[in-house]
Amino acid sequence: MSTDGARARLRAGASGLLGGRARLASRSPAPFPLGPPTWPASVPRPPKRSELGVDYETEWARRYPVRLARAAYNEIVTRPLIAAIAQPSVDGLDRLEAVRAPVIFAANHSSHLDAPLVLSVLPERFRNKTVTLGAADYFFTSQLRAAYFAFATNAVPIERVKVSRRSAQQAALLLEEGWSLLIFPEGGRSSDGWAREHRGGAAWLAARGERPVVPVYIKGTGRLLPRGARRLYLGKTSVTFGAPIQPDLPARHLVARIESAIAALADEATTDWWSARQRAARAETPDLRGPNGSEWRRAWALGPSPKDRARHPAGERRWPPRA
Amino acid sequence: MKALQVERSLPRFAAARIASGWRAGAGGRLGPLRLVDTDPPALPGPGWERLSPRLSGICGSDLATVDGRSSRWFEPLVSFPFTPGHEVVADTADGRRVVVEPVLGCEARAIDPLCSACSAGRRRHCTNLTGGHIAPGLQTGYCKDTGGGWSYCFVAHTSQLHLVPEGLPDEAAVLVEPAACAIHAVLSTFPLDLGPSAENTAMERTAMERRGMERRGMERRGMERRGMGGAGKESAAVVIGAGTLGLFAIAALARWREDVTRIVAVAKYQHQRDLAGKFGATSVASPGEMRRAVRRATGSWMLDNGQLSDGVPLVIDCVGTADSLASALAVVAPGGQVVLAGMPAPAGLDLTPLWQREVHLSGSYTYGPEPAVGGRHSFDLAFELAEASRMERLVSATYPLERSAEAIEHAASAGRRGAVKVVFDMRGDPRRLSYLLAEGHTLTEKPGENPGGLSTHGKDR
Amino acid sequence: MPRPGFVLDVDRSTPPALIWHGEGFRLERLPAERSRVVYAPEPLSPLPDPDEAIRAALLAPLGDRPPLPELLRAGMRLTIAFDDLSLPLPPMRRPDNRQRVIETVLDMAAEAGVDDVVLIAALGLHRRMTETELRHALGDRVYDAFAPYGNLLQHDAEDPKGLVALGKTDLGEDVEVNRRVAESDLLVYVNINLVAMDGGHKSTTTGLMSYKSVRHHHNVRTLQHSRSLMDRPRSELHSSTWRIGRLLAKHVNVFQIETTLNNDTFPSQFSFLQKREWEWGVRDRASFLGASRGLDLLSPRARRSIFQSILAPHQMTSVQAGEVEAVHESTLANLHRQQVVDVEGQSDVVIFGLPHIGPYNVNSIMNPLLVSCLGLGYFFNMYIGKPLVRPGGVVILSHPTPWAFHPVHHPSYIDFFEEVLATTTDPAEIEKTYEERFATDDWYRHLYRTSYAFHGVHPLYMWYWGAHALEYASSTVVVGGNRRAVRRMGFRPASTLSDALEMAEDQVGRDPTITYFRCPPLMLAHVH
Repeated sequence: MSTDGARARLRAGASGLLGGRARLASRSPAPFPLGPPTWPASVPRPPKRSELGVDYETEWARRYPVRLARAAYNEIVTRPLIAAIAQPSVDGLDRLEAVRAPVIFAANHSSHLDAPLVLSVLPERFRNKTVTLGAADYFFTSQLRAAYFAFATNAVPIERVKVSRRSAQQAALLLEEGWSLLIFPEGGRSSDGWAREHRGGAAWLAARGERPVVPVYIKGTGRLLPRGARRLYLGKTSVTFGAPIQPDLPARHLVARIESAIAALADEATTDWWSARQRAARAETPDLRGPNGSEWRRAWALGPSPKDRARHPAGERRWPPRA
Repeated sequence: MKALQVERSLPRFAAARIASGWRAGAGGRLGPLRLVDTDPPALPGPGWERLSPRLSGICGSDLATVDGRSSRWFEPLVSFPFTPGHEVVADTADGRRVVVEPVLGCEARAIDPLCSACSAGRRRHCTNLTGGHIAPGLQTGYCKDTGGGWSYCFVAHTSQLHLVPEGLPDEAAVLVEPAACAIHAVLSTFPLDLGPSAENTAMERTAMERRGMERRGMERRGMERRGMGGAGKESAAVVIGAGTLGLFAIAALARWREDVTRIVAVAKYQHQRDLAGKFGATSVASPGEMRRAVRRATGSWMLDNGQLSDGVPLVIDCVGTADSLASALAVVAPGGQVVLAGMPAPAGLDLTPLWQREVHLSGSYTYGPEPAVGGRHSFDLAFELAEASRMERLVSATYPLERSAEAIEHAASAGRRGAVKVVFDMRGDPRRLSYLLAEGHTLTEKPGENPGGLSTHGKDR
Repeated sequence: MPRPGFVLDVDRSTPPALIWHGEGFRLERLPAERSRVVYAPEPLSPLPDPDEAIRAALLAPLGDRPPLPELLRAGMRLTIAFDDLSLPLPPMRRPDNRQRVIETVLDMAAEAGVDDVVLIAALGLHRRMTETELRHALGDRVYDAFAPYGNLLQHDAEDPKGLVALGKTDLGEDVEVNRRVAESDLLVYVNINLVAMDGGHKSTTTGLMSYKSVRHHHNVRTLQHSRSLMDRPRSELHSSTWRIGRLLAKHVNVFQIETTLNNDTFPSQFSFLQKREWEWGVRDRASFLGASRGLDLLSPRARRSIFQSILAPHQMTSVQAGEVEAVHESTLANLHRQQVVDVEGQSDVVIFGLPHIGPYNVNSIMNPLLVSCLGLGYFFNMYIGKPLVRPGGVVILSHPTPWAFHPVHHPSYIDFFEEVLATTTDPAEIEKTYEERFATDDWYRHLYRTSYAFHGVHPLYMWYWGAHALEYASSTVVVGGNRRAVRRMGFRPASTLSDALEMAEDQVGRDPTITYFRCPPLMLAHVH
């Protein structure tokens, strides 16, 4: 729907509510040629080109002045805000020291806080040179929304399910141009606390651009602002970066490799590096996707609720649960 | 002769209006009503008789007048100065005991031919209320030429008189007029299963009304309805207000409306609640309980703002304030009827429910032949009711004319003071009947009193 | 070692006794030499590790039931029903007994791989619980694992599709139960046995059945023949529920889990409320004075919200699981251990100070009908053997009895009070004339099923609950109540306790003997 149409509907609705007088007042556009001409009914209107969703053009957001503005905005607004809300602790930055930009950051996803959180803790050389791949059907649905996300998180639209040639090409091109990518391979936030199956986008881009993938494990955001939450909670979060994965495998193996790397990071973040390594070596790393079975059993397997202070004063959700 | 008179005096009306805002009935002391000593009114012409009131009631419309609160609609329909009092039981010169049907229609005004309403017997619809040989006035008690019941003598046309049966106490007879009003209100509505809620178009209904809704029809349908056993929904009627009019409306519903199987009375005061039960109400609720009582009676749902999903097919509003009308509209069923019995106060009202539920809001004024019960006159029915229901118990207090201010205050606060009807009692004055024989039998003996009447009258002679 | 309850004979040295009065309390001096006060036993010490005790009970059930894990298998249908908001009173601090038990059951079910699990709040004809109330009873973990997926249900006794008829008992009582329960391989019922009336077959037969079934035991006849409601063998209500429950047990595999609580009723700032007056220390006296002065300054609404926010520090004293009747026997023994007080003989007058809360006004308003139900229905029936008052004696209740109703929770109560009690107060006549209308009213049904309203017939049950007392005592006097409301119920209003005692003398003669039943904390008088 065009915004003009929407505005006209809004106006009509408002004047309907306000009654006749308001209708009279609002209906007096200046006559042509002072106002716009009417369109003759016999001439068909050309179809209006969609400018939203996956077709949203984000090129402006990567121009130098906008980048400068974003850097300033992130330093002044986003980072202090994230520091206050999520109190992130960061691990594994040393693993990034040897790697050359651009790279693909692949992270688990349980909250809207994830993207700003990761962006705010990235080392400086990546921080202002990373684009986030955001769901076209969610972040790019209106001009204002799209503009905000393009500006604040340097987002570019991508389809969740079947990636089109155009958006894949665009992401690949950005990688070629030297932009790092932040991707959530689960394709959406967790709905029940457990991770979803990974999609192939990150691996495909890595293989095509021959750039390494950095697995990232984000812990705790699901508690602060889970899917469907009505309010934001304050709390602690952690971000763990893993060793870069070189794209020297076929893409479908790479997908599994990324997924297990994130699971191993989760294990590490919950326990300790050494025992997590041992379990990884024995292929006993707990699954982030949770048990099969009915909804209640998956929910039950998440363990005690952090909300229930009376029962669990320590109040931290074990995730992933110990096998 | 002593009489209470209402004069056209703007300051006095204004004073009454302000004072009555403080305390209802204060107009009796400060208002336009005054006790005067005057000659009995002259007979306007043949067919007119002098009457000597025994008892004369104080009615809601009288109170509104005295308190300066009646609608300006009446301004052209009254002639000052007038003596109020239209609920009267009186003696005639030849010793009959009568009650007066106060509407002054074509017959009383000697208009020939009668207007179409009067010739059909519906004197209440008369279009000549300001014409003829007497001054404007919609009823006895609002016309300067006829006098009224709050006096020792007034005049009435023979066509206005109804003979009181032997043995009926004066206290019951004085209530026949208001009873007739209530009866008319009850009988002027559609039978509930022929009413708007049934699948009849307005035109069909009009046709039915023309044919006359036979009593038998009502009875039969009422029986059919009850024959459905407990399964069918009861058809309930709500009567708002349990003053004189309300109580009679309840009694009339119980007596003549077999199609109404349940009567919910809404009464503010305890004695009214008791009486409502005695007069035939199935259940009695206080105003605050009304919606719930109606909800129970109809099995409907109560929505968040207190309106009901369904309601009763018939509401008779005997209070006539904005509040009572609003609550009538809140409890009437879609397609139902609301009848205003008794004079309403000027009111602002949200008509949305009226529109959305296609409610029929109608007025009911005075009386006449009732097609619903075979064309019998409301007054005849009222006499029947008077004999059957011991109406005299509703007269709670009597006052002589000299104590009018007290009487009016009492009447204005009747409910609160545990009273129903307050009346003036003229029986105590031994000279009462002498006015009937006073001079001035004909107009020629009192020239100049009524020049308009003189000419008309002279022609008739 | 907690002291048992005892009966104090009032003499001139006895300090005034604390008497509950709705959202408040008074100190009243009772006539010396002819009054006595029944004090509750002190709270028993709780189970040291309730979670472990629950686990042990589930693994070693009573009666002919195998350990719970053996009843659980993948692919089965498991239904867990639990007591609703009316228990315990006041609501207990988290974690609630129900949460502890259900979490343990679910741990076992998860271990066994049971996918099809549904939780049902056994409302009976009570109002539905809100999310907050459910979270309080079940804990967030349980709520979040079931509610979002539609697996946390509340019993609907008016859902034509959700009920199944299982037949009739020998005495012709209809047995119509929640469909999910009937179609389950196992029903686990989780109970909190606050008073002796609760539990056993009554849990399932009132909590999970339809109005059609419940009316067989919730009626004037059974209640007049339940002497008392709290003494199962002598309760007609329980005989009926037992018959229905046994029939249910033939169709449904019921695994009952019952828990008892100690009577530690009030948090520490109100601890004086459960202490004997002569033992009040400086702190108790200060908090009494502070509380009563402070409450005087507040509006009734503010007082109500303060009292409704009280959470009891109740703790679990026992848990037993297995076959219903075996479990209930053991539960009753544990309950009696906490609550029974031996009382010698009856008196002419009995006094009950009614607190702010009863089973049906949690987070709500104690309306006059609930006052009557709590006083004549519950307190009066808190006996084994015979009532505390002699036949023809006088019951004195102390409660402000405001003419106030919660419009959402108690819509049919308003109609009952406005219409029915204005006409008659005779339970039998009310049952005959009005029960059907109230039970089948479409609006009440709608509100019960979709809003948070008690069932249309519930106010009548409140009145029936007092039927035994109404028949037994000669009159009921309410101290400090709204006069109009008290008269409407056929009781007599008195402004002070001494007035009430004088009024009682009209009925029972001069200088009557008086028993003051100082409850809460809850207790059960065994009258010899």
